[in-house]
Amino acid sequence: MANNGTALAENKLQSKKLTGHKLTWNTIVKQKQLIFMSVPMLIYILIFSYVPIWGWLMAFQNYKPAKGFFEQKWVGLQNFKYLFKDENFIRDFRNTICMSFINLILSYVTAIILALLLNEIKNVFFKRTVQTVSYLPHFLSWVIVTGIVATSLSTEGGIVNILFMKLGIIDSPINWLSEGKYFWGIVGATNVWKELGWNTIIYLGAITAIDPALYEAAGLDGAGRFRKMWHVTLPGIKATFVVLLIMSIGHVMEAGFEIQYLLGKGPVLDWSETIDIYVIKYGINQFNYSLATAAGIFKSVIAIIMLFIANNVAKRLGEERLI
Amino acid sequence: MMLKKRNWLVALLAGLMSISFVLSGCGGSDSSSSSTSTSGSATATGSAAEKLDPIEISFFITDPGQAPTPDNKIYKKIKEELGVSINWEFLVGDKNQKIGVLIAGGEYPDVITMSSDIISKFVGAGALVPLEDIIDKSAPNLKKHYEPYKNKVKDVTDGHFYVMPDYGVYYNDFSINVNEGPAFFIQKAVLKDAGYPKVKTLDQYFDLIEKYKAKNPTIDGQPTIGFEVLSEGWRDFCLKNPPQHLIGHPNDGGVVVDSETNTAEFFWDKDYAKRYYKKLNEINAKGLLDPESFTMNYDQYMAKLSSGRVLGMFDQHWNFSNAELTLKTQKKDERTYAPLPLVFDEGIQDYYMDRPVLNVNTGYAITKSAKDPERIIKFFDALLTEKWQKILGWGIEGEDYMVDDQGMYYMTPEQRVNYNDQTWRLGNMAHTLWYYAPKMEGTFEDGNATSPGGQPKEYFDALSDYDKEFLKAYGYDQQSDFFSPAPENRISYPAWQIDLVDGSPASLANTKVGDIATKYLPKAILAKPDKFDSVWEEYVNQLHKEDIQAYIDRINEQLAWRAENWK
Repeated sequence: MANNGTALAENKLQSKKLTGHKLTWNTIVKQKQLIFMSVPMLIYILIFSYVPIWGWLMAFQNYKPAKGFFEQKWVGLQNFKYLFKDENFIRDFRNTICMSFINLILSYVTAIILALLLNEIKNVFFKRTVQTVSYLPHFLSWVIVTGIVATSLSTEGGIVNILFMKLGIIDSPINWLSEGKYFWGIVGATNVWKELGWNTIIYLGAITAIDPALYEAAGLDGAGRFRKMWHVTLPGIKATFVVLLIMSIGHVMEAGFEIQYLLGKGPVLDWSETIDIYVIKYGINQFNYSLATAAGIFKSVIAIIMLFIANNVAKRLGEERLI
Repeated sequence: MMLKKRNWLVALLAGLMSISFVLSGCGGSDSSSSSTSTSGSATATGSAAEKLDPIEISFFITDPGQAPTPDNKIYKKIKEELGVSINWEFLVGDKNQKIGVLIAGGEYPDVITMSSDIISKFVGAGALVPLEDIIDKSAPNLKKHYEPYKNKVKDVTDGHFYVMPDYGVYYNDFSINVNEGPAFFIQKAVLKDAGYPKVKTLDQYFDLIEKYKAKNPTIDGQPTIGFEVLSEGWRDFCLKNPPQHLIGHPNDGGVVVDSETNTAEFFWDKDYAKRYYKKLNEINAKGLLDPESFTMNYDQYMAKLSSGRVLGMFDQHWNFSNAELTLKTQKKDERTYAPLPLVFDEGIQDYYMDRPVLNVNTGYAITKSAKDPERIIKFFDALLTEKWQKILGWGIEGEDYMVDDQGMYYMTPEQRVNYNDQTWRLGNMAHTLWYYAPKMEGTFEDGNATSPGGQPKEYFDALSDYDKEFLKAYGYDQQSDFFSPAPENRISYPAWQIDLVDGSPASLANTKVGDIATKYLPKAILAKPDKFDSVWEEYVNQLHKEDIQAYIDRINEQLAWRAENWK
């Protein structure tokens, strides 16, 4: 007991030191191995994450490749003004945000439900099979996935239309991919199909880390299966959930690119085009790198703001946080 | 869960099948395009090239492709006799992105293939070597080759000669067997069924399709598709180009050019365009249009054509010729297509087939990174002799083709199969090099065509019995007889080659109206017939919001420039 006590005290002391941000020569010498090991990572981050920010200057120029930096023409905020006046950009911004939130919500809800259900299965073989089958699509490339989606949604023998017609939901095949109102749903459903199994892995991992004694205790108190899920399993994975959520919110401006690019044909353009496609179409393909960079900066700024908001909310709610 | 698993398997299998199908559909030949011309300039001298120091040249092809095998027999011969070995690089991924990286880096392969959409980027970056002086000094064959076109090969911005055009220079007599250009296509079986009628107008065309579809609701067990429209990506000309042809104009891309005044008109919002799309709306209401037309991609389109159940479409022949090869290997010759140069009314003269034009801004260009541009030019100059043109176009005598008593070249059935086999070509032909290089088209001094595709007897022998009978029924000798003979080209023809300059208001307007059309035309075509007019009105309003004038101004400026400089 005594030993334990001192260990605890030391732990506390150290954590206090760390949180206090007091960097003394002493600590540096003490941790020189650690510092030495982190140097390569630091260099990596500097080179690949901070140096490229230099390129942001392009957004304020009328950038022409193959010209030196000082030969470029400076145009101030012209590119940003162009973006915010462009109806297409506003539309693409809306599409990006909406599809991203649909993906976010669907993927979290389905992954947690599947993880909870799988956790209840006692037959190991069946559980493993379901898990393997559901995460295999994760390894398919989007080109193949969109091919499968287009085939499944086809009006001629597409499995979705056949199923719906057999069930009596529709009378004649629907041309799913030519009506904008279905597009976001199709993207959401495809994402779920592709990533569901993969997303559950981490939750299943978190669930196994829950102390079995808690379940026993709950059982003694008379809790049934659903009670146990609600009062033991869910709180047990809450921390994991919040950290993952904050990270995802940081990616909210990335609604995916391939699926919209490959499935978004003319008739659904108004619903399918995302900011990434806009960048390709009006930026890179037009050789207008400045506009592309401006759109990229806009995306980054929004992402950073969202990340901080989510982090702050988590902090106020007394949850885990990243920063 | 089990159901899900099975769904997944079915879908995966379907996906795999469609992929393997598409792959198999790609194995066809790539017949070079050809058409009629008047200019038959003199044959280049057949002098053998002087022996030069060995050199390795790096080539970058701005299209996806496959490198030849290391032991390719033609490249080996080139290395032995001309001292040149080639280091190939093909485009992987996005073209514009790759080019952007190249230009930003300022380091280039020695030789790059240009096309009209990227040339201004390279010229703007000062990446290319002007060729006029080098050719003058040390390339007699190239000089002779481009002499009649010395104004056309000039760059529009600074007047230098940067790109050696790959197609459009003809020698001696020649015959065009297959017109690779645009037309309304119809299955030969439909024409045969109707007793080989001569089809002139759009209405007759759709009548034929309607009747045939009513008689044959399925083909090989699958539902018959009356009319197909491809609208994906840059291949959207299948959707956007027909109106100009229906009023009797040649292919000028997004504009109709008045040949008298040499001025362009934007036609997408005009009444004659409306008339065409209204007709499509009508046939859609009759169930003749494929409901998946506007959502399918190119691979799906090719898969549908290859299944033999699509009765008709508007397209350019080169764009779907691989599907016809697949049909032929399946012995479904009656499902291959005949071209119809349709017009709105009987009184209009069709102008689908054009005379060959110099393919300006397209072909090899030499970059400033090349250490010895003169040596490279000498290499191309050596290739432009009859000896090497025969090796590039036909192969090695006795191995790849035979010569009959009259000295005419022909192929045995086995050689013909080889010639059409993409994999065989990688080991036995220098097809990539030849495809983009300055080349002779037409015929050699001895009367043989410069490639098997242009040899009339070879063309006829290679036809199936079905095709021979089909042509006989019409009294034609070749596919191109379906078209009216091509009139003399307008000097500034064709407008679609005009470079709009990236990032300019003209180019931006072009992208934007393109988007609007891709969005609204399907909407209008698929609308209920009584809604068509209102959707059309909305479409025209949207178009007029964009800066169409900037686009037309740029085209007109270039047309005027050509009329002035190309005389």
